[in-house]
Amino acid sequence: MSNKTNIYKPIKAKLLDVITESPTIKTFIMEPEEEFSFKTGEFIELTVDGIGEAPFTPSSSPLETKQIEVTVMKTGYVTQYLHEMKPGETLGIRGPFGRGYPVEKFYDKEVLILGGGCGFAPIRSLLYNLEAISDKLRKVTLCYGSKTPDECIYQPYVDQLRNTPKFEVLRTVDEPNESWSESVGVATVLLDKVKVDIKNSIAVCCGPPIMMKFGTFKLLEMGYPENDIFLSMEKNMSCGLGKCGHCMMGKYFVCKEGPVFTYDEIKDQPDIWS
Amino acid sequence: MKNYYSLLISDWNAVIEKTLPNYSIYAPLKENDSLDYELIDLENLSNISYNIPKPTTPLKTFFLPIKENLTTELKSEKKRIIIGSPNCDIQGLKILDEIYLDKDFVDTSYQNKRENTLLIGTACYETLEHCHCMSYGIRPFSMETADISLSKVDTRIHLEVLSEKGEQFISEIKEYSAISNSPESEIKDIELKQSKIENEIIANNTGLPDYKKTGEIVQKAKDEIWNKYSSKCVSCGACATICPTCTCFLLIDKPNFEKVRQLDACQYPGFERVAGNEDALHELSIRFRNRYFCKYVWKPQKFKSLACTGCGRCIEACIGKINKNELFRELAN
Repeated sequence: MSNKTNIYKPIKAKLLDVITESPTIKTFIMEPEEEFSFKTGEFIELTVDGIGEAPFTPSSSPLETKQIEVTVMKTGYVTQYLHEMKPGETLGIRGPFGRGYPVEKFYDKEVLILGGGCGFAPIRSLLYNLEAISDKLRKVTLCYGSKTPDECIYQPYVDQLRNTPKFEVLRTVDEPNESWSESVGVATVLLDKVKVDIKNSIAVCCGPPIMMKFGTFKLLEMGYPENDIFLSMEKNMSCGLGKCGHCMMGKYFVCKEGPVFTYDEIKDQPDIWS
Repeated sequence: MKNYYSLLISDWNAVIEKTLPNYSIYAPLKENDSLDYELIDLENLSNISYNIPKPTTPLKTFFLPIKENLTTELKSEKKRIIIGSPNCDIQGLKILDEIYLDKDFVDTSYQNKRENTLLIGTACYETLEHCHCMSYGIRPFSMETADISLSKVDTRIHLEVLSEKGEQFISEIKEYSAISNSPESEIKDIELKQSKIENEIIANNTGLPDYKKTGEIVQKAKDEIWNKYSSKCVSCGACATICPTCTCFLLIDKPNFEKVRQLDACQYPGFERVAGNEDALHELSIRFRNRYFCKYVWKPQKFKSLACTGCGRCIEACIGKINKNELFRELAN
């Protein structure tokens, strides 16, 4: 980045379409006005003009450079305004920021992905990336948990993945309805059902803090080494530049040194699960 | 031999007067009990206080104003000279430089202000009750980072050049001022004064653990300690506002995608709160502890520069009369 670039100024992006994924989750498809690309797992700061800015990891493929998608749960001040936005309106984007998934380390391995709720968003971006390099991977297993069947997002993509060689999708919900035919229980119950060659595997975990915590403990129990568990951490990443201090997690600025860490890197830092 | 120049105070004042049209000059002025940086003009330039300990406002606010629009076009500002900063403040700039001039993301607003400023530090000839720079290995006079170190001895001002920018300034004033190399005897006088004040600061802080030890203490301290010392904290954030090394900020959004930076503090409720209301620093005692971990454990693991320079302002500013040095003394024994 050149010395004279204004690191705080967003580039504009036109909102092309809004997809309702669940009662509380929407995907926003945007076209940046300037060239913009990211690596999977890196995040952006998305500005709702005059309202605020919040960090999101794109849910679209890092190989797609014309458009970018973010999938957002309505859960706070900025996301509430974001959910009201209509195609044609303009958003602001800064980034990409941080360190994403080191996909080259996944070569010749089985990839076990544990995701929950809106944590599927960054995972979908990763899955798109893994699909593109599937000849280099042994197998990819997604274990995804959500509260209810209504809140299971990306149904068409799940159907597509289930027909993709080397990819497997297991899903569970806490509160099933009559038509639900898959697993029941928290996301970690799926880990009892997967068959995985742990020695030749790495694990990825992304979701709400409580799931990340118990998911990580379960993965450790299964025998994953601490440096083979990749966690996508969520803190109050505000500037994205390692300056404002809001996302400090012990000695790390999550926005700059993360958001993807191995468990080994962060296990001794404070408040990693909150 | 050190690169010292000297001139009569009256000649130095004439230098300031001649420089005024081209620079905004800030220097400490004493008013009743308060000492703070003021914009210097023809009226007040002869009242500048030299060689006294820290002004009320930390030096950082010249480079990180309390509030600043970061997306409007950078104005070409008049060059600045800041005179009279103590070394605790100047050393505090180092961690700001590491953060804001980080080559991955250079903050151009900060960078412009740094490049636009000539920094003339002064050696402290006095010490205040809570000054403890020496405990953290910082000497009470500038040796680097500033451009020039100023010492007043009797009727003369001595200027020790510390940087190229400082050298350049001296060459400029040489053209019109009676400036000469300081005699060896006067340099000795300055060094004596410096050594005297160093000994005084050391003596005033007997039993205070050094910087490395403070980190170990913070890591070992039990919850009772944090509960005890935070019980008088009202989360006003004065400690962070007044601290030369606290730099956290909020980015505030304004229409037309403008971003305004406002200095923030981890002592304010909600500092780490995220959407959905998860907040790792919700409890006051944990917020209080966070500041100590940040300064004495985490920042030292991350940066080369100190995150506390022993200026003691946080002790002076605290309305709850919380004294971090009492905490460290209690735990050091």
